[in-house]
Amino acid sequence: MTTDRRPLLLMTPALLWLTALMVIPCALILVLAFFRRGIYGGIEYTWTLENLALVFDPLYFRIFLKSAGIAGLSAAIACVLGYAAAYAIAAMPRRRQPTLLFFAVLPFWSNYLVRTYAWIVLLNREGLIVNIARWLGYNGELPSMLYTEQTVIVGLVYNYLPFVILACYAPLSRMNPEVTEASRDLGASAWTTFRRITLPMTVPGIATGFVFVFVLSIGNFVTPALLGGGQFQMIGNLVYAQFLTANDWPFGAALSMVLILVMLGLLMAQAVVAERASNGKGQSDG
Amino acid sequence: MTQAFLSIRNVEKYFSAVKAVDDVSLDIRENEFFALLGASGSGKTTLLRMLAGFESLSGGDILIEGSSIANMQPNQRPVNLMFQSYALFPHMTVAQNIAYGLEMEKLPKAEITERVNAILDVIQLSHLAKRKPDQLSGGQRQRVALARALVKRPKVLLLDEPLGALDKKLRSEMQLELKRLQHEFGITFIMVTHDQEEALVMADRIAIMRDGALLQVGSPKDIYELPGSRYAADFIGVMNFLKVKRTDNGFAAPDGTAIATAHVSDGVGEGDAIAAVRPERLFLGDAGDNHFDGTVSDIAYHGLDLLLHVETELSDTPVVARMTADVADNHRPEIGQRITLGWLARDTHIFPA
Repeated sequence: MTTDRRPLLLMTPALLWLTALMVIPCALILVLAFFRRGIYGGIEYTWTLENLALVFDPLYFRIFLKSAGIAGLSAAIACVLGYAAAYAIAAMPRRRQPTLLFFAVLPFWSNYLVRTYAWIVLLNREGLIVNIARWLGYNGELPSMLYTEQTVIVGLVYNYLPFVILACYAPLSRMNPEVTEASRDLGASAWTTFRRITLPMTVPGIATGFVFVFVLSIGNFVTPALLGGGQFQMIGNLVYAQFLTANDWPFGAALSMVLILVMLGLLMAQAVVAERASNGKGQSDG
Repeated sequence: MTQAFLSIRNVEKYFSAVKAVDDVSLDIRENEFFALLGASGSGKTTLLRMLAGFESLSGGDILIEGSSIANMQPNQRPVNLMFQSYALFPHMTVAQNIAYGLEMEKLPKAEITERVNAILDVIQLSHLAKRKPDQLSGGQRQRVALARALVKRPKVLLLDEPLGALDKKLRSEMQLELKRLQHEFGITFIMVTHDQEEALVMADRIAIMRDGALLQVGSPKDIYELPGSRYAADFIGVMNFLKVKRTDNGFAAPDGTAIATAHVSDGVGEGDAIAAVRPERLFLGDAGDNHFDGTVSDIAYHGLDLLLHVETELSDTPVVARMTADVADNHRPEIGQRITLGWLARDTHIFPA
């Protein structure tokens, strides 16, 4: 008996691509993290755990925690806004939903950098928002809107909101309307129905959206660099600086490695949640 | 006259310009098993959803024991609906599904547990209390959906095509089971179905709906034996329709043979009319009040009985005659044979052409 080799054949190009551009670089990073930094930059090939220890040095670990905090807050805000938007879209007549979804993901069709620069145009000292305030007759002092932590969060939420909308829309649109009607019929108010039926049934979508935004935010360096204006660092900026300015590749690699492990852990947790959810449903769609 | 238990008064429903329910008035008695029977698009499901509170009324009123429920939210009505898709909560166990409605009533925990266990016993699913809905068979899910609605002890239980998703054998079992539960709980059941056999077997009374309006309301026997219209006659069971003409002293076949009848429906005018007779009311031979000749074109053997398809000038499609097994054993006709079929005036219904 021979096994069918055709699926393997079809997968090969993608596997080669991923191996060359993903697995090998990651392996290099992994290995690099255990070498010593040379005196004039470069790498000295002797084993050490110093780089890893340095990651957990309070000075750097604080940046880690700070990044996680910003990423977590961004993900939470994006989930609240995104879930509400997805709920509204799913409640619309079926034939109008594709159009609304199209508009929700429209920003994705333009360049990430351009979109982030657009915020600078909007928020800077002579920007659109300040001008509108002046035009409305406000002449007082305006708080600095650019180069703050809040600005970075606004930028991250803005950039990744479409992910959350899509992730939450999928389970919301699949819900059998008779299930929520059954809850109402059995005596539950609209709010209780949402809390006990709709929300639990769509948790996998929220978890997916949250993990996506968190993972993309914690390692992000473009948004903090542009909207944070170098006023404070996130872990992505620190990694960037180690490789390109401090010339300390092993420490950069160690930081990257820890970051990748955190991301992997979260993605796996998300996969488990999604898996458990798909095992626990299926009666409503037959 | 005693007050009706559930009273539907001149109820109307428009979806924009389309009239889905057209001036329906019905009085349903306490503990009655009532069936709304109709083809799809007849308005029966819309009417049921109006009773449950999921569709508003465009006109009219609905009263339970004399007080209007028309403006009550679905969660405030003393009515529960068993959904066609069962609509079980997939993230909850069987026991949690059934307990949900009782928790909404804020009953003490002990009472909820007791009532859930009691009803699990009734539907014989106690051993599956901790299963999730997707680990159950179709028949088991159906019983959980039923228990979830029944455990609330509603004044009226609404059932939307309750047996529609089950296979044929399970369906006939559940027909009797549902009737038994209805007697046991003493709750008024209102069932929507498109299956006329289901309605005949299960219901105390049937309302046939067509184009949003009530066509006929009556017991299964009345509906079957005294159909009020050609549509009702055709929709319930099998009916033969024969071309007849009005004469000075009654009705006659195209060849002039008189057709005697006991039932002439309203609206039968001069000229052409339709005579209807059920397959099981036809018999071999020219005894009886009416008879015609025809050629056997087909014989379908069903075990218990035998269906003869007979071609005759009275009808464009073959007339179906049902012979019991013993008749068939003694004088079994053959395909192509000329036979005479007779029937009685009391089994003859005349409708407008």
